[in-house]
Amino acid sequence: MGKRRPVSYYLLSLFFAAFLLFLYGPMICVYLLSFQGPEGGMSFPMRGFSTVWFETLFKPGGRGVGDIHNSFFRSMRMAAIVAVLTMLIGVAAGMSFRRRYPGANFVFYSAITSMVVPGILVGFGISLALNVLGLRPDWWYSGIGAQLTWSLPFALLIMFIIMGRFDRSYEEAATDLGATSRQRFQYVILPLILPGIIGIMMAGFTSSYEEAARGALNIGTGNTMPMELTALLGAATTPVMFAIGTLTTLFMFVTVIGTLLITMSLARRRQLRLVAQPA
Amino acid sequence: MSETESKGISRRSLLKGAAATAGAAVGSGFVGGFPTIWAQNIKDVTITHVGSIYTTNPTVAAQAAKDLGFKVEMQTLDQTTQINRMLTQPTSIDVTDFGNTAMGYFKGKDLIMAIPVKEYKWWDKTVPLFTQGTYADGKPYSMQGYAPIKSQFWTDANATDYSLTPTDYIVGIPVMYNADTLGVRPDLVGRPITSWKELLSPDFTGKTALQDGVNVGVPDAAMALEANGDLTYVDKGNMTREEIDKTIDKLIEYKKAGQFRSFWTNFDQSVQLMASGEVVLQSMFAPAVTEVRTRGIPCVFQALDEGARGWYIFQMAMKHLDSGDKLRRDCVMEYMNWSNSGFNGAYFSRQGFYSSVPDNVKPLMTDNEYGYWYEGKAATADIIDPFGKVMEKAGAVRDGGALWDRMGKIAIWNTLMDEDRYLVRRWQDFISA
Amino acid sequence: MAVGVSPRTASWLQATPFALIMTALVIVPLGIIVVVSFMDYGFAEIIPEFFIGNWTDIFKSTLTLDLYETVLRHIVIVWAITLVLGFTVAYYLLFHVRSNFWRAIFLTACVVPFWTSGVVRSVSWVPLLGREGLVNQALMGMGFIQQPISWLLYSEFSVLLVYVNMLTLAMLGPIANSMAKISPSVIQAARDQGATEWQTIVEVIIPLIKPGIVVGTIFVVTAVMGDGFIVKSMSGNQVNTPAGAIMNEINALQYPPAAAKSVLMLVIVLLFVGTLLRFVDIRKELAR
Repeated sequence: MGKRRPVSYYLLSLFFAAFLLFLYGPMICVYLLSFQGPEGGMSFPMRGFSTVWFETLFKPGGRGVGDIHNSFFRSMRMAAIVAVLTMLIGVAAGMSFRRRYPGANFVFYSAITSMVVPGILVGFGISLALNVLGLRPDWWYSGIGAQLTWSLPFALLIMFIIMGRFDRSYEEAATDLGATSRQRFQYVILPLILPGIIGIMMAGFTSSYEEAARGALNIGTGNTMPMELTALLGAATTPVMFAIGTLTTLFMFVTVIGTLLITMSLARRRQLRLVAQPA
Repeated sequence: MSETESKGISRRSLLKGAAATAGAAVGSGFVGGFPTIWAQNIKDVTITHVGSIYTTNPTVAAQAAKDLGFKVEMQTLDQTTQINRMLTQPTSIDVTDFGNTAMGYFKGKDLIMAIPVKEYKWWDKTVPLFTQGTYADGKPYSMQGYAPIKSQFWTDANATDYSLTPTDYIVGIPVMYNADTLGVRPDLVGRPITSWKELLSPDFTGKTALQDGVNVGVPDAAMALEANGDLTYVDKGNMTREEIDKTIDKLIEYKKAGQFRSFWTNFDQSVQLMASGEVVLQSMFAPAVTEVRTRGIPCVFQALDEGARGWYIFQMAMKHLDSGDKLRRDCVMEYMNWSNSGFNGAYFSRQGFYSSVPDNVKPLMTDNEYGYWYEGKAATADIIDPFGKVMEKAGAVRDGGALWDRMGKIAIWNTLMDEDRYLVRRWQDFISA
Repeated sequence: MAVGVSPRTASWLQATPFALIMTALVIVPLGIIVVVSFMDYGFAEIIPEFFIGNWTDIFKSTLTLDLYETVLRHIVIVWAITLVLGFTVAYYLLFHVRSNFWRAIFLTACVVPFWTSGVVRSVSWVPLLGREGLVNQALMGMGFIQQPISWLLYSEFSVLLVYVNMLTLAMLGPIANSMAKISPSVIQAARDQGATEWQTIVEVIIPLIKPGIVVGTIFVVTAVMGDGFIVKSMSGNQVNTPAGAIMNEINALQYPPAAAKSVLMLVIVLLFVGTLLRFVDIRKELAR
């Protein structure tokens, strides 16, 4: 390329670096403080240097750990299910908006409403409704349901953005070539919106993992991670929290980068396959 | 039951001394008399215990399962979620814990079982705070706030109203209790603190904090206001509307003058404020004080002239147990009796809380530990917490002294006021001021 | 050629699961909340009798005005800052970064902090902003200040700072997406006509990304309006907003007044969003 960069490029790069520093400020504290020694506290100055808090995480019963292992597992399980459900239901709903239809307003406004109402009230409302019906909340229907009320609206909005970028002409070309609607979806639409779908799944996953307010009353017995951490905050907090922060970040990083790499390699293989086909 | 090793020993790699080892080794085998239920299917029973971070933990749950033969599933929740769960899904809980700040919610709600006193083994050994409404010397304690005797007894087996005098049915078994005062940074304060009024002293403007809440923060504030001569009260723990208005208005004045640095909602915030020196004097809970001290920072839980703020936690059983499976009910009673039989009590005593049955706890703690925590004696060796951290060096004396030095002068108890609704409303005004 | 359903029915089928979940889990609970707002309350109990008191309190007391004044101030400030930040970073990433690889890396870098649990993050602001925190240490180390600044934490400043930190991405994302839609030939055309960079931004890019700005605004406004947790924890409970007030009441188990305040908040937000969408019809963008 070699085109000379305007001054604005350097200024903006600096700006971006500063922005990243700002974003990472609290995270830097988390990463640093998780490596404190046994006398470590919840703020600077750092006391000691060790991996003792990471070890504590893996030995159940330690101070400030509560029942992290089980709650982590529960959170992961729910997040995975919510991610898939959000993707399926959210993408379908997003697709429905390609045409005008009665009831579209309802879908849209109910989504906005769900985003805005404080989670605790949604959670309480659902819990009350279940009580009236005589049902007992459990993670696999009311817990997941409550979390879906949070992730689905975001999925819908992301779909709006994706569909906004979507070029209809590809679809029309496919139809002209004789594709059925299923073929159209599978071979044209899906690959084009795939990055968005993956984005929705990640959004569903992270929002479920983070979510505490809506699910708390509807999980049934057994805390999720945020619930367990919130409960822990009320007693002796220790740098184990920071260790949790560092580890979960690492975990997510590996998961997402892994997903991206897989997606990219699949895309590349598709390219190669297309190129390899006889003209 | 004949195992003398509990799981805890292998984890305590940082421990020094025989102290904790002896305690833990003795733990399992010494608690005599359990299990008392012999049934074929007892191991299929799972008791659900929902409580706070102080009363539920995996170590105790594991020990209970070992001693009792059935499973205890514990869930830790914050108080609001806990109460919500009680109200909306009562059958999903068997055993639960609450303190004075919540007892007011359970009157007339048909949720809590009436426990016949005779089914609770340790009633006679329980400290008179709960059984009589008096201190150890027989003198009645302050009735300001939600004193223990106000919610200890049901009027009858129907479990609808509380009785102020002993009856045959208790609302719950008392588990732990303590006396709170102000936490102080003696190194930053510069002079001895002896009164609650120092919370409002101009010497500490911008360096004090209160707990954010009407159940603990407001009583603390009321203690300070009264000690300072700003206001007088009939019952600080149960204010009238006029008293509430005057308190809130006064507090707004102090807030606008910048008296308070912050209002903390959770344990960690309170520790943070003290440890960093942002605050030199504040409402505090005992474990937070010790946490600050374990970081090598001087922090004192000062006994004050006007007295302390007392609190307790009851363990209660849910009413549906009475009309359900008898085996389950028996297991619950068994569990509750076990809770105060020693292991649990020793575990939290080592974190600074008092057990309502000190006699059961004494054999499970070393002389040094019991002497330090309960008798106000100087420690003969380092005091170590259940996780292996050194809390106090040898020679230290517990702040405030022995059990009855500290619990013997309660000016006010944590509370839930009759005018709670009005108070919360006015507290909103205070926060937005 | 295709079997069966008309396009309209297809849309219905696609939207049905979503609609069902929303109805059962949002609309119905909301209905309950509206009903509850008209009820009386005792200790941790809702008394099912008609009671107008919660609503009269809302409209008669100054508390409501104070609360909304505070939150509106927050919204405007946070919106303005996240808009500038989000736009600038998005512009940089889409119009200055040339390699797709680096763009992806940078975007991922922006998202990584959000993969840590919110609870852990909320605790981590203290070591950053406290009197002994990193920022104060840095400022003192560089000689800008002698004494640590106390208002970095437990103040309105810290609340706004955390909002900006957490919500810039919400603005950045939609804006970046809209920017990506802009065909490079449009930019090229502007340059060929002699436009400076600034002119290109103001006259070409900004008008084209309006939908992105609107979506980002919706995210940011609803997030700030609906947040009670950050405002309470970061201000040391010294600042109150409508959401914070609702949380206070929920924690005190006083649901009817919380319900009434929630209904009011919901109405205000829906009006706001509805108005915004008058200016830019998002759905028209789709069904071209």
